[in-house]
Amino acid sequence: MRWRRLVLRLFLAVATALLTLGLLLGWWDSAAMDTDGTRQASPVFTPERPSLGAAVRDFFGIQPEPERQPIAFTHKVHAENRIDCTSYCHTGAAVGPVAGIPGVKQCLICHRTIATDHPDVEKIATYEERDEDIPWQRVYGYPAPAHVKFQHAPHIRAGVNCSTCHGEVEQMTVAVRAVELNMGFCVDCHRQHKASVECIACHY
Amino acid sequence: MDRRDFIKLSALTAGAAGLAGCGHPDHQLIRFLPEESWIPGVATWRPSLCPLCAAGCGVMARVMEGDAEVVRNGRTGLLRMGLVKKLEGNPAHPVNRGKLCARGQAAVQIVYHPDRIRQPLKRRGERGTGEFEPVDWDEALSTLAARLKQVLDDDPAGLAWLSRPLRGGKRVLVERFLATLAAPAPVYFELFDESVLRWANRLSFGREQMPTYTLSVANYVLGLSADFLGTWNSPVAQAIGYGEFRQGRPGRRGKFVQVEPRVSQTGANADEWIPIRPGTEGALALGLAHVLLNEARRPTTAAGTAGERIEGWLQGLPEWTPEAVAEQTGIEAERIRRLARELIAHEPAVVIAGGAALAQTNGLATALAVNALNALLGCVGALGPVRFTPQPESTGLAPPHRTLRALVQKILSRPESPVKLLLLYEANPVFATPPAWQVAAALDRVPFVVSFGSFLDDTSILADLVLPDHVFLESWMDDVPESGTEPAVVSLAAPAMRPLHNTRAMPDVLLDLSRRVGGRLNEALPWKSYEELLRARFDALARRAGADADAFWKQALERGGWWSDNGGTRAAAPRHAAATTRQIRYQPAEMDGSVEEFPFHFLPYASQAFYDGTTAHLPWLQELPDVLTTAMWGSWVELNPQTAERLGIRQGDLVDVTSRHGTLQAPVILSTGIAPDVVAMPVGQGHRAFTRYASRRGANPISVLAPLEEPETGALAWAATRVQIRRAGVGRLVLFSGGLSRFPHPEER
Repeated sequence: MRWRRLVLRLFLAVATALLTLGLLLGWWDSAAMDTDGTRQASPVFTPERPSLGAAVRDFFGIQPEPERQPIAFTHKVHAENRIDCTSYCHTGAAVGPVAGIPGVKQCLICHRTIATDHPDVEKIATYEERDEDIPWQRVYGYPAPAHVKFQHAPHIRAGVNCSTCHGEVEQMTVAVRAVELNMGFCVDCHRQHKASVECIACHY
Repeated sequence: MDRRDFIKLSALTAGAAGLAGCGHPDHQLIRFLPEESWIPGVATWRPSLCPLCAAGCGVMARVMEGDAEVVRNGRTGLLRMGLVKKLEGNPAHPVNRGKLCARGQAAVQIVYHPDRIRQPLKRRGERGTGEFEPVDWDEALSTLAARLKQVLDDDPAGLAWLSRPLRGGKRVLVERFLATLAAPAPVYFELFDESVLRWANRLSFGREQMPTYTLSVANYVLGLSADFLGTWNSPVAQAIGYGEFRQGRPGRRGKFVQVEPRVSQTGANADEWIPIRPGTEGALALGLAHVLLNEARRPTTAAGTAGERIEGWLQGLPEWTPEAVAEQTGIEAERIRRLARELIAHEPAVVIAGGAALAQTNGLATALAVNALNALLGCVGALGPVRFTPQPESTGLAPPHRTLRALVQKILSRPESPVKLLLLYEANPVFATPPAWQVAAALDRVPFVVSFGSFLDDTSILADLVLPDHVFLESWMDDVPESGTEPAVVSLAAPAMRPLHNTRAMPDVLLDLSRRVGGRLNEALPWKSYEELLRARFDALARRAGADADAFWKQALERGGWWSDNGGTRAAAPRHAAATTRQIRYQPAEMDGSVEEFPFHFLPYASQAFYDGTTAHLPWLQELPDVLTTAMWGSWVELNPQTAERLGIRQGDLVDVTSRHGTLQAPVILSTGIAPDVVAMPVGQGHRAFTRYASRRGANPISVLAPLEEPETGALAWAATRVQIRRAGVGRLVLFSGGLSRFPHPEER
C-alpha cells in the first residue's frame, strides 16, 4: 500500500500549499480591496458566506467573539432604562418568526437626542453619514443544514422569557451566546411545558 | 490511511478551523441603510403579471425581507429590502385562475440573473464582440436625445422601433411617440406570431384576434398540430378547461384526438394519435367538412361567412371526398369518415388548429378550412367552445413578419442605411429569423442601435447603447389578454419590489426622452411617468364602467387588474365579416427542397421550457427535463427508430441536419411518436450570445429554415423546410431518466 500513502502525502502537501497560498493572497477572508479602498464583492462567495473563512466558520458553527461587534452595544444600560426587548429593538420577535436586529434608523430614534457625545453613538451617526447600516454579527442562529425552523412569535405568546434561550442578556454588555441551543435543550423545554415534540413541529 | 496520516489530516482541519476565527466585520460586505422596513421572516403576496408569453397570466409574488447584493453609488454592499422569492398563479385572475406554467414559475430567476445588465452601457469594442463600458444615465440619455434630434432634423423616417408585439399602455405610448415624431410605425416581431390565425378569424368571423377555447363545454376535441396544453395560445387557461373536459364532469368524459406528424406534449394526452403528412391539415378539415355536408346532410349555410370563404363550399366540396383526402394526408378514408361521425356524435365538438399546421405556405387556407368546419359544427359563439374575448381596444397589428422584412429590405436597399437610429426592445430577430432574411446584416448597417433589454442576446449585442429596463417585478405592468378568458380583462400591477440595479423602466425612459426632445412630444405625451399613463387609462375605464376612479384603481391594484364580474362583457359572438365575395382556394403546401435530395420534413416546435428561445437564459428551465424525452441542457433531433435503423443511426449519435439553407449538428433521440419521414427539433437553444447559461449551447433549428412565407400575411412558414440527415459522430445527450442506457449493458461489455 505504498502508493496509497504516497497519494495521501501528495494530497496533504498540495492541500497545505493551497491553503498557505490562499492565506497569503488574502483569499481566506477575501479582502479584495479596490483602489479607492471600497470593498468589492468576492467573485467566488455569496453574500451569505463572503469568504472561505466564513464558510468554514459556518460549517463548524463558530460564532464571532464578543469584541467583534462593530459597536460595543450594552444591553445592560438599555435594560436598566426599561427599554423592552421586543417593543423597540427586536420588534420581529412578537409578530414574526425572526426577532431582527435594529439598524441605524431604530438607534437614532432615541440617540439623535440621547447621549449623542458617547463615542459609540457617534459611530452610529458616522454610519448614517456613509449611508451604511451597522454590520452586526449574528450571535444566535442555526446553520442551514440543521433544517430547523424557529418561530419567535409563538414562544413569546406562550410567555417564554427571552432569558430562557438567550441567558441574562439584561446583565450583559455585548450579547454573547450564553445558552447552547441544541435539540436536547429544545425538547427538554417542550416536554416540560407539554408542547409538541413531533419532528414536524420544528423540522419542516 | 494509517494513524499518523489521520493525525496529520486532523491537525490540518483543526488549523483551518482555528484560522476561521480571523473573520472581521471590516472584511464583509458593507450594509446599506434600508429604504423600507419589514418584519423579518413574514411574507406578503403582491400581484404581478407574467411577461413570458402572449397568454398574459396573472401571478402573485411572494415578497419577503432579504439581503440583496447591490451596487449603490459605486459601492458594492448588502441592502436589506423586500425581495420576490416565489411566483404562483393569481387565483383571482380570469386567465390562469391560480395556476402557472413552468416558464412562469421560473420567471423569478430573471430578477436575480447573474448576467443581468446592471447599468447603462455603451459599446467599446467592435460591434458584436460584446465589449461595453458603463456610462451613467444622464450621459446615456443625452447621447440618445442628441442622436434622436439629429435624425428628426434630417428625416424622421430614419427612426425605427423594433420590439415584440406590445399591448396595453406600452403599445399606446410607443405608437404615439413614433406617430408624433412622424416616424414609421413600430415593427413588432415574434417567431411564433399568430397573424395567420388572426387574419383567418377576421375573414371568417370578423374578429382579428386569437380565439378563446372554452374546453369545459366541449365533448370532443380534434387537435390539428396545436400544442394547446403546452405552448400555444393561452396554455394555462386551456389546460384548466381541458381538466374539466376530461375529469370535471362526472359521467361525461370528453374524447380527444390529436392529428399531428409528431406527438407533442398535448398529443401525448390524447385518446388517439393520428400522424398526418405535414402541411395537409387543411385538406383533412375539408375532407371532414365534405362528410358532414354530404353524408350527414348538414346545410352549407350553417357555416355562415366562414363557409363562404372556402372555394367550393356552397357546392358541398365535391373534390374533397375522403378518398381524395386520404391520398393527400396519408390518413385512411375510413378513418376520416369515422372522425366525422364522432364529431357529430359528440357535439359540441371543436377542432383546434395551430402551430405547425398554420406555419405553412397554405396556412391561411388551413385556418379558414378549420374555421368553416367549426362553424359547421356550431361550436363558434357565445355558448360554444370557440369564443372571442371582448377587447377594450383594437387588437389588429400590421403583419409582424412582413413588416420586419420590409424594414430589413429598406435598410439594405441603399449602400448607406436609410434607418439611422433603431430602438430595440425585447425582440431577438437575429436568433429567430431564417438566415436568408439577412436581419443581422441589416442591423449591422444601422449607424446607431439602442437596446432596452435586460440581457445581451444575439440581437442586442449589436447595440451601441444599452439602456436596461427594470424587470417585470420591478415595473408598473399592464396587459390586455387577447384570449384565454371570457370576461374582458385589463391586467394591472404595481412594482412588487424595488429595482435591484441601476436600471430604468423603458416607458419612463421614452417619456424622459420626449421631455428632452420637447416640442410636440410634450403635448402628445403629457404623462410624467408610466404610472400616470396607466392611471389615466384606468380612469377612462372607470368612467366607462361608471365607477369611482380612486376605488376602481385601488381595487385593480389589489386584485391584479380589472375584469367584469357580471355577464355584461362576457365572450362575444363572432361579428359578421365585411361583406366580400372573396374566396380562398386551398393549395397544397409548398415545401423547400426536393423529396429526392431532402427526404425529411423538418419540424421545429416551440419548446416547453424556452418557447421561442426567450427564456433559454434561465437555468431552472435549462434544467427542466423535456416532458417527452427527459432531455435537458441542450438540443436534440427526434427521429423515428425505423428511419434511424435504415440510416445506421443510434440514440445519442450526432447528426448533420442539412437543408438548402444551412446545416446544424445535434444528437439524436429516437421516438416512436414521430412519422418516419419527419425529423423534429425544439426551438430555443443555439444562441450565439445569451448569458452564461445559453450561449453556444445546442443548435438553432431556425438557422436552417427556408424563407418561405404564407403569401397573404407574410408570416414565416417555419414548418415548410425539407432536410437530409447524415450521421456525423457521437453526440452528447443529457437525459433525466434512462441516462444510463447510453452505457453498455454489463453483459455486452
